[in-house]
Amino acid sequence: MASKLYEERSQKIKDTVNFKNERVTTCFMGQAAPAAHMNVKMKDFAMNSDIMIKTTLDYINEIDAITSVDCLNIGVNGMRSDHSLPMAWLSKIKMPGRELPDDSLWQVVETNVLTPEDYDVIIEQGFETVFNRIFPTLVDMNEFQESIAYQQKNGQNNVELFINSDLPVVNSGFASPPFEVLCGGRSMSQFFMDCYKIPDKIEKAIEVMLPGSIQSMLSSINPLCGRGAWVGGWRGASALVSPKIWNRLVWPGMKAMGLALIETDNIATFHLDQCWDRDIERFLEIPEKKSIINTDGMTDLRKARKILGEHVAIMGDVPAPLLATGTTQEVKDYVTKLIDDIGPKGLFITAGCDAPANTKFENMVAMFQAANDWK
Amino acid sequence: MAKISELLANLEMDQLMEAVQNELDNGTDPLEILKEGEAGMIKVGELFSSGEYFVSDLMMSGEMFKEVGEMLEPHLAGKTNEVLAKVVLGTVEGDIHDIGKDLVYIMLKSGGFDVIDVGVDAKPEAFVTALKESGATILALSCLLTTCYDSILNTVKAVEAAGLRDQVKIVIGGGPTDESVVKYTGADAVGDDAQSAVRLCKEML
Repeated sequence: MASKLYEERSQKIKDTVNFKNERVTTCFMGQAAPAAHMNVKMKDFAMNSDIMIKTTLDYINEIDAITSVDCLNIGVNGMRSDHSLPMAWLSKIKMPGRELPDDSLWQVVETNVLTPEDYDVIIEQGFETVFNRIFPTLVDMNEFQESIAYQQKNGQNNVELFINSDLPVVNSGFASPPFEVLCGGRSMSQFFMDCYKIPDKIEKAIEVMLPGSIQSMLSSINPLCGRGAWVGGWRGASALVSPKIWNRLVWPGMKAMGLALIETDNIATFHLDQCWDRDIERFLEIPEKKSIINTDGMTDLRKARKILGEHVAIMGDVPAPLLATGTTQEVKDYVTKLIDDIGPKGLFITAGCDAPANTKFENMVAMFQAANDWK
Repeated sequence: MAKISELLANLEMDQLMEAVQNELDNGTDPLEILKEGEAGMIKVGELFSSGEYFVSDLMMSGEMFKEVGEMLEPHLAGKTNEVLAKVVLGTVEGDIHDIGKDLVYIMLKSGGFDVIDVGVDAKPEAFVTALKESGATILALSCLLTTCYDSILNTVKAVEAAGLRDQVKIVIGGGPTDESVVKYTGADAVGDDAQSAVRLCKEML
């Protein structure tokens, strides 16, 4: 049975997306941030689901005891990065304590596991044929099966741990649009070349992949743990690709996935890395007060608010370098100025993209304090 | 000949390769063709700086420039272009990202620099050794992880310890780098993107 505080915070998430919130909403995002502060080796944190969940929960509770954390951006289910990220980016992940030093952060190895011929296979036989061939080369399938079994056995209990700590979650799902999947599989430079040389083929492959991507995104949502999903915008950022590529190969997929979430009464959170200034007005094409843009400090949020008004909520965007190297006063100044400039309505304050592993704990607290103290 | 720079700047891959082949068949000095390619890359850089081109355009032009270089190589027979300066480039220790570094490599090369690439996850000693062996006066460090700021710091310290700091300018770049990281690490400057890396290196001559 969820507490009154949990229900209030859950309502605040909905109110913020709907621009009915009175005060700014504080939102935790820092997948790797807890380990160092809680004196847990990154190797243990990243490789052991139970340690990851307990450490993250203890870390957030420690902040929450000092200043309110209203919600989490994305649910923490203990799935290891080397099992979850290859599904999104068709890339191998190097892990601490395995290929990397014990206290290193996990990192994506970007190699072209996808060949140009694979576009034809996707078009003719479907994406599953290619995925089923490549995925076992990216992960240890025995470990992956254990990971799935862990989720089936412990998933619900882990969700309840967060509910019992009065911590609702905005997004329980995570989706990588076909453009991003192909980009990860081909590697960025090769894929961008393909976008110039064979755009027709890529467009067709994306069309074939999209229904499966939507279905998989919707099935990843656990309504008990956040009625929403990320739609990732990483390599498809406006700052990275030309308008020609963006309009034809990036935005149609992202938009379709966002609309599918909204049609099924879920929140669409567009997780946007890099700068999206050029195309920010395109988010007006999404039904109003149903979605969030979740930015990383590089998109101009003043401009975004001016253009988007009360159409799309904003989740952002304290920059990673500031959290890692700045002073508490600098963090507070950043947050206060952001709220001064774009107002508290429809605003979640969180780390830009993801608080880094070397985030100073006092800076994480300062970020939330500044938001909670804003008048 | 101006056609080659235009085709490269307009990202017309097939027509560019055809034009280069025609120039070679007509007996044009391959070094002159290469210079035209460089002029095209300068134009691409300008278009990027003015916001008309994006990273994908830089990558495409880089690929085209590389292919032109490969086509000309057998004909150059040891002839080389004038080099502005030598730059040692690499991604710092603990970080295996290479896309940004590789883009900076091609932009610096086409901008007239001789670039010594020490790769990714490069230890401070690797940078120092490359600086000593090449006599390079610029060190360019790529970093995509906030957890690797200390690797930049350690590399700067290693350059100091080797007695090279007075002769070597150090530029940094990559997603999470900014002026605060310059201050933290003792580097000289930060570049926002591959094109600004070229500008910074030219300013440091």
